[in-house]
This record gives sequence, structure tokens and C-alpha cells, in this order.
Amino acid sequence: MLFAALDGLNYVLVIALVAMGLVVVFGLMNVINMAHGELFLLGAYTLSITEMLGGSFWLGLILAPLLLAVVGLAIEELVVRHVYHRFLDTILATWGLSIAIKQAVVLAFGPQSRTASPPFDFAVEIFGAPYPAYRLFVMAVSVAVIAGTFLLFFRTRFGLTARAVIANRRMASCLGIDTRRLDRLTFAFGAALAGLAGAVMAPLMSVDPQMGLGFLVPAFLAILVGGTGHLAGVLAGSVLVGGTDTVIARLWSPVVAQIVVFTLAIVVIRLFPRGVVGGRERR
Amino acid sequence: MSLKPSTLAAPLVFALLALAPLVLDDWRLGELSQFLAYGILAMSLALIWGQAGLLCFGQAVFFGLGAYAMSLVTLGMVPGLTAVTSTWAGLAAAMAVPAVAANVVGRFLFYGRGLRGAYFGIATLAIAVVVERLFINWGFVGGLNGLMNVPPLDLGLAGWSFELWEPVPLYAAMLAAAALVWLGLEAVVRSPFGSVLRAISGSEERTAAFGYDTAGTKLSAFTLSAAVAGFAGALFSAQFAFVSPPLIGFALSTEALIWVAVGGRGALIAAFLGAILVKSAEARLSEALGASWLLALGLLFVACVVLLPRGVVGEVLAKLDGWWGKGRKDG
Repeated sequence: MLFAALDGLNYVLVIALVAMGLVVVFGLMNVINMAHGELFLLGAYTLSITEMLGGSFWLGLILAPLLLAVVGLAIEELVVRHVYHRFLDTILATWGLSIAIKQAVVLAFGPQSRTASPPFDFAVEIFGAPYPAYRLFVMAVSVAVIAGTFLLFFRTRFGLTARAVIANRRMASCLGIDTRRLDRLTFAFGAALAGLAGAVMAPLMSVDPQMGLGFLVPAFLAILVGGTGHLAGVLAGSVLVGGTDTVIARLWSPVVAQIVVFTLAIVVIRLFPRGVVGGRERR
Repeated sequence: MSLKPSTLAAPLVFALLALAPLVLDDWRLGELSQFLAYGILAMSLALIWGQAGLLCFGQAVFFGLGAYAMSLVTLGMVPGLTAVTSTWAGLAAAMAVPAVAANVVGRFLFYGRGLRGAYFGIATLAIAVVVERLFINWGFVGGLNGLMNVPPLDLGLAGWSFELWEPVPLYAAMLAAAALVWLGLEAVVRSPFGSVLRAISGSEERTAAFGYDTAGTKLSAFTLSAAVAGFAGALFSAQFAFVSPPLIGFALSTEALIWVAVGGRGALIAAFLGAILVKSAEARLSEALGASWLLALGLLFVACVVLLPRGVVGEVLAKLDGWWGKGRKDG
């Protein structure tokens, strides 16, 4: 029972980690990044390949967000920048990118799944029972990233300008904020978060070209359920989506859990279009 | 309405397609018949996306529901109605089931505060994933294996039977069906109802402020689009003789979005040609290019969305119209 709760918490925190990158980009730029799952995938591959080439886990964990930030910059410059003013087209353009990236990975590394090994695989005793220490590490990373993002957005000068742009883009740009630069940085930051999430999750799952989608849809639903008006909405949404999924998967089966959670999420989004946390309505 | 090249495009396309049996062998013709079903699916998506601005990530759900409904009826698997196995009953079910499904979903999503734009897209994406899961785990419809030996189309009535086995009659029937769907949908697009749809796509608030029932209009369009997609699915399953969960899920839904984006969302005929051109290119190139084909398709899709929002065919039509108009003014 305790382990179920810990595994559930693990899942919630991972969804929150993936969703954090999504909501930063959506909140600030009003761009729905459907390629986020593939950025997650690239992060996992970065770690796996670094390990294959003889690098350590820690090197891969640092490389993944850095590399993905560069990829994010490239995507922003080549694609997303051109469709800012066409909101629905950002979904399509990033969706096309996700297909292309996935297929590029298949071409480069084959469709088979790879592995990544955790830096430590001992277990710690929690109330007299062993629990994998790496899972605790993943939770710690997730909590640290979420806390870091909150600090960045609510305690730094960058966060202040970013929130100014969210509140009123035109006014912010009139006040001399370089919104182009901010857009670039935000997209790179969102991509780096996805890369970090992918890298940290890689040892826990099968690293294959399809791994991105499994997290993308729950993360999106978590954002919409929680509400996009406030970063705290991500946490609430992740708890609702991840928590419900874990409970139902334990009571019935993972398949039932997915069907029920997705359906419930649609109902909640319909009833609370601003999310359960509320906040200012975004288009 | 002045006579413009884009007006002539559709009749020309169907006339050219009617000549296909003269140049294509049986195998290619059979393939093209299936692509016509995809073309009908593309037109159904272009109706709600191109006209009403509803980005639907789950159009294949309706295609798949139609395919399954058709198969269950013609295989005599509907409980209590095992004696009714005619193609006509199958087609009716294949249009009714998706239409009812879309109506129920649409009623929930459009009315009240309603879901708009991206939220609608994500909701339909989640629905597509859920429905695919359901069909994979539903033993009655064969689970992951699907339903096999779906009978071919039979145009017979009241005891007389005319099965479409031969490639040429089958192709002729498919082309006639596609042309009929185009005619019907084009009439909808050009009607006052179509104007309201485009107004909603432009600005839903403004359209509502003019006194139009925007939710009701969207619901009607969504329901009609689902019925047409179901019709396409029924035609496809009867030709393919096999239905399985990939037909109902999210992969085919995305493919349909790509066809429509590449062809052109603004004109039905552009979307229709998009499906046929992309599928034909895939059939020719996927062997030569292997896995690179999907990469190329993804990049082509991105390029179309970013650079050619009207799609390749739509852009050509718009250019032709432009030259035509200029030429007439000069002359």
C-alpha cells in the first residue's frame, strides 16, 4: 500500500515535470507544443547514448537539457516563430515536427528499444521495506525542478519580465522588453525541461521512439484540468490525472485507468474551462 | 458567381479520375479505389476544419465507427438483426452510428461555455486514444485482430445481387460515391449555412452577436462530417475486407490532418486531392525511401503549415484564379 502510494507520487511528479515545460511555453507564448513528447524522447536518447559511449549517467543528465535547449532554439527559429499569429497552426506545425523527429530517431538509432542504467541501483528501507533509491532520486529531481521553475518565475528579474509578457504582451514590448528574446529563451527553457525529464526517466522505462506520446497526452490533460492561468494549476492537474490513474490502475487495470482518466479529464475540462485552479481565461 | 479556374477544378479532377481505368492496371486501380475512400474522409475533415475552424484530432474515430458498423451489419453480427446483412443497411448504420456519436460528443463539447480552438483539439485527441483503446480491448469486435472476411459491396436490392468484385466496377462505384459526396458537401459549403460556418471560423463571438446559433451550427456540421467520415469508412472496410483498431485511432486521424493540410483545407477538392496525392506518393515512394518517407512527410507537413497555409493544391488554385482575374481585367 505504501509502495503504491510512492509509485503514485512518482507518476504524479513525473507528469508535473513533463507538464512544467509545456505550460511555460503555452502560458508565455500561447504555443501548444505537440513536439514536447519527442523532446522528452531526445532527452532520454541523449542519456542512453552518452552511457553507451562510455560517459557517466551524470554527464548525460547534464548534456540532455543543454542539447535540448539548442534543439528548442532551432525549432523556435525555424518553425514556431513563423506561426505565432496563427494559433491553431502552431499545434499542427509542432505536430509535424513530432512526426519528423520520431522518424529521424528511428532512422538514426533503429526502432528497437534501448536501455539506460541508473547511477545507483540499491534500495533504501522505508518503514522496514526496500524501495528503489533511484525512484526517490527521480522524485527529488522533479520537486527541485518544479521549485526552481517557481523561483525563476516569481523571484527573479527574468520571471518578472516573463510574467509581464504573459499579462500584456503589447504593453510589455512598449515598455522596452525584448519579447523576441524572451520567446526564444522560453522555448529553449521548455525544451530543456523536456530533455531533463526524458533523461531522468530513461533508466525507469524502455527507451524507444514511441515513448514520448505516452507522457504527452496525460501532461496536456494535466495542464488543461489544472488550468493554464497559474503555474500551480500544473501541480493540481498532475495530482488529479496521475493520482486517479494510479488508483484505478491498482483497483482494475492500466487500460481501464487510461480510458477512465482521459474521459474524466475531458469532462472536467468541459465543466471547468479555466481549470480547477481557475485564473485568467486564456484563449 | 463568376466562372473561375477553381470552380472548374473539381469537375476536371473527377473527369480525369474517370479515365484512370484506361491507364492503370487492376492492382493500381484497386489501390486508387481505396484512396478514394481516404479522399472522402479528407473532405469530411475539410468541412469542419477548413470551413468551421474546428481542428479535429479524431476524425478517424468516425471513419472507424463507420467501418466497424458496416462490417458488423454485413457480417450479420448485430444482435437481434443477424438477418439484415445488405450493403444498404450497412451503409445506413455506418452513417448513423458516427453521426449519433458526434452529436452526443458535440452536444457536450459545444454548448454552454464550450470548448474552443486548442481545447477542442486536445479533447478530440484524447477521445481518439480512448476509443482506440476500447476497440483493442473489446472482444466482440475482434480486439486487436479486428474483423475479417467483411463482404464486398453489393449494390443489389430485394434478392437481386450485384457484388462489386471486379476492379473496374468497384472503382466506378467508389468514384461515383466520391463525386456525390463532393457535390453534396460543396452545396453545403456554398449555402447560407456554409457562410455561417466560415463566419464562426472567423470570429465565433461576432457571429453569435449577429444572432446566429453558433453552437447549433457547429453541432450540425460536426454531425454531418462524422456521417460522411463513417460513409468513407464503410466503403473502405468493404473493399479491404478487414477492419482493425488502427482504422479507428489516432494514427489515421493524424494522417487525415496531414492530407488536408498538404492538399488545402479551404477547398473540398483540394483536401480530396491531398489525400489521393499523399497516399499515391506514399505507395510509390515508401518502398524506395523506406523509413525516410515518414520523415519527409512530416517535414512536408510542417513546411505546408508554415509556408503554405492554403495547402499545395489550394495555393495552385488560388494562383490560377489570380492570373485568370488579372488576364480578364487586362483583356
